[in-house]
Amino acid sequence: MIAENRLEGVAKLPGPGLWTTSVGSFPKPDYITKARARFARKEIDREVLRELERKATREWIEFQDSIDTDLVVDGEQYRGDMVAFFAEELPGFEIGGLVRSYGNRYYRKPIATGPIRRDAPLTVDWWEYAQSLTKKPVKGMLTGPYTICDWSFNEHYPSRRDFVLDLAKVIRDEALDLERAGARYIQIDEPAASTRMDELDLVIEAMAIVTEPLTAHTITHICYGDFHNAYPKMLDIPVDQIDLEFANSEYSLLEDFSDHPFSKYIGLGVTDVHSHELEPVDEIVEGIRRSLKHIPPERMFVDPDCGLKTRTVDEAKAQLANIKKAVDVVRAEL
Amino acid sequence: MPIETTVVGSYPKPPDEGQPFTVRKTLHALERGDATAADVASAQDELVRAVIAEQEEAGIDLVTDGHARWDDILTPFARRMAGFEIGGLLRWFDNNVYYRRPICTGEIEWRGPASVDAFKFAASVASKPVKAVIPGPVTFARLSVDEHYGRHEDLVLAIARVLAQEAFELEAAGARVIQIDEPALVDAPEDLELAKDAIYLITDQLESTETTLATYFDDAKRLGPQIFDIRVDCFGFDLIAGPENMQLIRELPSEKKLQAGIVDARNTKLEDEDGLVREIEELAGIVGESCLRVSPSAGLEFLPREKARAKLQRLAAAARRVGG
Repeated sequence: MIAENRLEGVAKLPGPGLWTTSVGSFPKPDYITKARARFARKEIDREVLRELERKATREWIEFQDSIDTDLVVDGEQYRGDMVAFFAEELPGFEIGGLVRSYGNRYYRKPIATGPIRRDAPLTVDWWEYAQSLTKKPVKGMLTGPYTICDWSFNEHYPSRRDFVLDLAKVIRDEALDLERAGARYIQIDEPAASTRMDELDLVIEAMAIVTEPLTAHTITHICYGDFHNAYPKMLDIPVDQIDLEFANSEYSLLEDFSDHPFSKYIGLGVTDVHSHELEPVDEIVEGIRRSLKHIPPERMFVDPDCGLKTRTVDEAKAQLANIKKAVDVVRAEL
Repeated sequence: MPIETTVVGSYPKPPDEGQPFTVRKTLHALERGDATAADVASAQDELVRAVIAEQEEAGIDLVTDGHARWDDILTPFARRMAGFEIGGLLRWFDNNVYYRRPICTGEIEWRGPASVDAFKFAASVASKPVKAVIPGPVTFARLSVDEHYGRHEDLVLAIARVLAQEAFELEAAGARVIQIDEPALVDAPEDLELAKDAIYLITDQLESTETTLATYFDDAKRLGPQIFDIRVDCFGFDLIAGPENMQLIRELPSEKKLQAGIVDARNTKLEDEDGLVREIEELAGIVGESCLRVSPSAGLEFLPREKARAKLQRLAAAARRVGG
């Protein structure tokens, strides 16, 4: 059951449903990538970088408004790694040395060396800036406690659970600050949740700490390799909405919904973010129509499968434009 | 007698903080067309030299080349043998690390050795013995997609036949210890009989080489003591992710060796030396000093360079305090 007070955010969105949005990240234009590199080499200072990040944020919000996106994101032009962004600012974390992710790609994995605390809000300034640029609601974007734990080293906590639950309190406090600033949609991403099924209870426990005091509409995104084994248990995650990837699995997730109805709001991922190929509008239309047999439009958001940061700017814009066109076609049929 | 120390296989590729990261830079240059494959090989040679020197300086008795030339343990072999294409990225077990999934699209055939040149180079720069590492056939098959054989056993045995050739060539090139990595086997007890047959295809080819079956990321209790029917000389267990491996260790046949993973390869926190000493003494008491080799719990590539080195130093220091 979705609590009545949580419908407040969604009730502000127009029409009978089938709203357009994005999962979170957008590609960084070249001038941002260059500026980040120059900042890392200490050739420009933080304020110069910030100004360029604000410019890129404005451009992405203008684009979303130009295609009449219902629920807007700030595109994370100022964020690099989704765990490091938080870990760098939270006392208790040290930034570690380089470790390899795959191929020739490396990142700095944070190390928890003491109890994790939060001194000040981390995302509210950017959220307020983004929201000042558009009349559409802007999502607050947070990385979930389970993922922050899983993608960090732990030199302090006696157990993973202790680490995750401490992080949950920190993320909860950040979410409350976003809500106080006016955010009505807050997303808490948990991509690590699909790593091991036997810790789903911990994911659920941690998310409960984060969302319990919130009145905003809460969303989580999890990239599921093995969806079938995680469903319907994932419906126990205490959020209003789950964003799932349908395009890269040819909508095979819908089969699981026949046995167990999907009871939450859904973020229907309709374009593959790991491919250079663009789904044509009629393919997206078909996918939405198939999905509407399982979930009503008033509980459906439509978006790309995942964050778009690995695409080029043109590819990302083309995906979003095609999604919008497809949604317009189907809305007219409702 | 001193307790022997070894590594499981991989070692961090990045340098210490602040040092030039030549391999990464050269690979980027290769992408831009500013470097050649020979430049990359040269940078990798330098990395292998450094990685072997570090293991030896830390006091490790049986070293590897750190998998310095590999992105994952399957791709180099899948590329070399006929029958495979290299597919997309997938999570590597429960780590935040990804491998490229091999896709079997045709008949699997030997086309020549995949790891012998790298082994020879490592052996030529090492003063300690070098352990050669190959993926196990069950893990290889389970982590691949089969678009050709249709039956799991056929795929496993086809891979095993090629790996048997590889092992034969490694022995001919001077390898005296060969490790077969089977992390996927611990969650596939239904494959145990098949694993016995497939791994025997590999080890039967060998005359005098000592073989190790390495497991990691979990305990092997679902396999039970029947795992010891697999015809290898030494069994590797991860006691960090799989503390319940201790029960299996107590059942290790007296003629077999144990490679005990007692230092956490996936977390930076450095183990207490006295605690390690006690653990090594306990293990030596169970299997006998001459049948014990201690190692990190898995490959060290999960850690930053300085932390990996510190772990090896700590392991070797603890091992030196045990045994006569």
